[in-house]
Amino acid sequence: MRKIWTILTLQLKEFFKSPGVLVLMFVMPVLFSGIFGGMTMNSEQNKPVVNVVLNDTEISGQILNLLTKEHHYEWKKATRQQAEKNVAAQDVAAAVVIPDDIGERILASEPLLDIIVQRKSETYLALSAHLEGTAGLVLRSYQATSKLEADAFPKVLETIANNKGVTVEKQTIQKETKTNVEASLLFVGFAIMFMMFGLSGAASAILEERMGGTWGRLMVSPASKLQIILGYLLAYFFMGWIQFAVLMTTMNLMFATTWGKLTYLIPFVSLVILSVVGFGLMIAGLVKTKQQASAISAVLIVSTCMLGGVYWPIDVVPDIMQKIALGVPQSWAMSGFKEIISGSLHSATLVKDTLALVGFSALFFFIGLRGIKFE
Amino acid sequence: MNMLTVQDLRKSFGNMEAVKGVNFSVEKGESYGLLGPNGAGKSTTINMITGLFPPTSGEIQIKDINVIKNPKQAQKWIGVVPQEIALYQSMSARENLKFWGRMYDLSGSELEKSVDQVLEIIGLTERAKDKVETFSGGMKRRVNIGAAILHKPELLIMDEPTVGIDPQSRNHILETVKRLNGEGMTIIYTSHYMEEVEYLCERIGIVDHGQLIASGTLSELRETIGDHSKIILSIDKDSSNLDGLAQSLTSLFSEKDIQIQDHQVMVFHKEPQLILTDFIQSVAKSGTKITSVDIVEPNLESVFLHLTGRKLRD
Repeated sequence: MRKIWTILTLQLKEFFKSPGVLVLMFVMPVLFSGIFGGMTMNSEQNKPVVNVVLNDTEISGQILNLLTKEHHYEWKKATRQQAEKNVAAQDVAAAVVIPDDIGERILASEPLLDIIVQRKSETYLALSAHLEGTAGLVLRSYQATSKLEADAFPKVLETIANNKGVTVEKQTIQKETKTNVEASLLFVGFAIMFMMFGLSGAASAILEERMGGTWGRLMVSPASKLQIILGYLLAYFFMGWIQFAVLMTTMNLMFATTWGKLTYLIPFVSLVILSVVGFGLMIAGLVKTKQQASAISAVLIVSTCMLGGVYWPIDVVPDIMQKIALGVPQSWAMSGFKEIISGSLHSATLVKDTLALVGFSALFFFIGLRGIKFE
Repeated sequence: MNMLTVQDLRKSFGNMEAVKGVNFSVEKGESYGLLGPNGAGKSTTINMITGLFPPTSGEIQIKDINVIKNPKQAQKWIGVVPQEIALYQSMSARENLKFWGRMYDLSGSELEKSVDQVLEIIGLTERAKDKVETFSGGMKRRVNIGAAILHKPELLIMDEPTVGIDPQSRNHILETVKRLNGEGMTIIYTSHYMEEVEYLCERIGIVDHGQLIASGTLSELRETIGDHSKIILSIDKDSSNLDGLAQSLTSLFSEKDIQIQDHQVMVFHKEPQLILTDFIQSVAKSGTKITSVDIVEPNLESVFLHLTGRKLRD
């Protein structure tokens, strides 16, 4: 254990001595997150406008009241014709139609609300989640009052809309803070990308040590191969955690972001860091020099981050790209983070994301450990 | 008592056999030199002895430990000075020594004491806190040795420890090795600098093309060439008639004792002073202009030349 600790502390010291590494692992992600996070926050102040098309029935009015509980949008009534024109001209982010036949739709279990958009933007994604939540609420209210008097249904909706304690879409929008899921996911995305650069660079230091002779010297010391490799890998794991913790704290201070339940977040971050360490080890095991490792890492990291929804939500890309994204670990990591940060904690999705990351980590470690020359 | 026994050691890399059945043993407290040109198989042999990689076949035993079966157990008893400067350059000499000491299970006051002693031995106490990257090549080599002797190994294996350093540092290193050996440490020293091996080692093994072609004390090795000295006449190439010269020399000496190169004529003889006059007269008669005369006593260079047909640094 002492030998593992000695190697671990040496690697950490060496790692944090390099100004280049500090810039790559802390300054760059904070800078990127600050710039793009700031843009996301500012965009929140300029609320997107959403047209609402509705008739003058009491139920429609109460549904509108429910919709306007979401303060991240500016809700404006419009006729269907005006709304379609506004959407086409991109004067509004979307238009929501509360159909005249909403009663029949409830009975037929059909979608209650229609949404008109120009393209599936991030605004659309957040809005659709809010609409689904509202529709669910309407449906449940109808089911609860179906055997009561005829005016019980609108009254229930009115009560819900007037209740200040109700948060219509708490699952995806945390109204109590000024933050949103999008911004937190953006920070996580940058953290993953720069962590991949930092840790794959660190892991390829094994190649440099091989060339320099310290690796060979370690191998002829009484320390076992397992102790040596554990020392290195644990050092990289801690580096990843230090980076993530610094970034989380900084973003919290700058933008008052929230990160969901820590009991879920901490193990999931650990798993993501483990797969990033595995990725770095795999690269170090596949190439011969640090220069080769840097070149290959750069290409792989940028391309897989693009595919995996690190730079933009994966839901906005075509279906075929979404299917390809399943082949990169970042998509599973982002999906899991979305579940945890948004607070939805959908267990089936989280389990799937976790298992996928465990699989990727195992594969990366297998390839990496086979490729590393212990001589 | 044997500290190291190597039996029929072989190592192949693909189709290339780098070590071809090497046998030797080193006694406790002995200093043994492995001499050979670059690529002869010295480092491969050393790397197998230290347990860095396993041999294709053969046996290695350190004390009574089988190195192939229990490399980690054997490595506790040995110190290895690799050919490279295997140190962390951005760390100080003291930090490096402490790190390597911990790898050999030293800790606490024992480690501190050992580091201080080693810094004293390698003459770097004053520079202990300086980063290794600021050191000269010779100082780095000294720390490289220091890292191998922290745990007071019984067997110190040094693979070309003086490559590319200044004479002052080389002398310091040689004196250090001599002192360690004098204190009872068994030394295996590989080099292609024969004067170092001559100075340090009681017994010498000559390695070439992956084989140990001779082994013994310096005087035993000298006997393999019959203890012949070498008379070297440097000649003016333009004035020489090499064919005529060779003909006149073969009438005086055995053909195997004569060597003629571009601007040198050499004759090997047990008592050079007896034939020196005849040799010079014979060369002069052939019309060749002599520019200098030199007599070289038998040494490792001539032994190596005799055994392999080439110079050590070819």
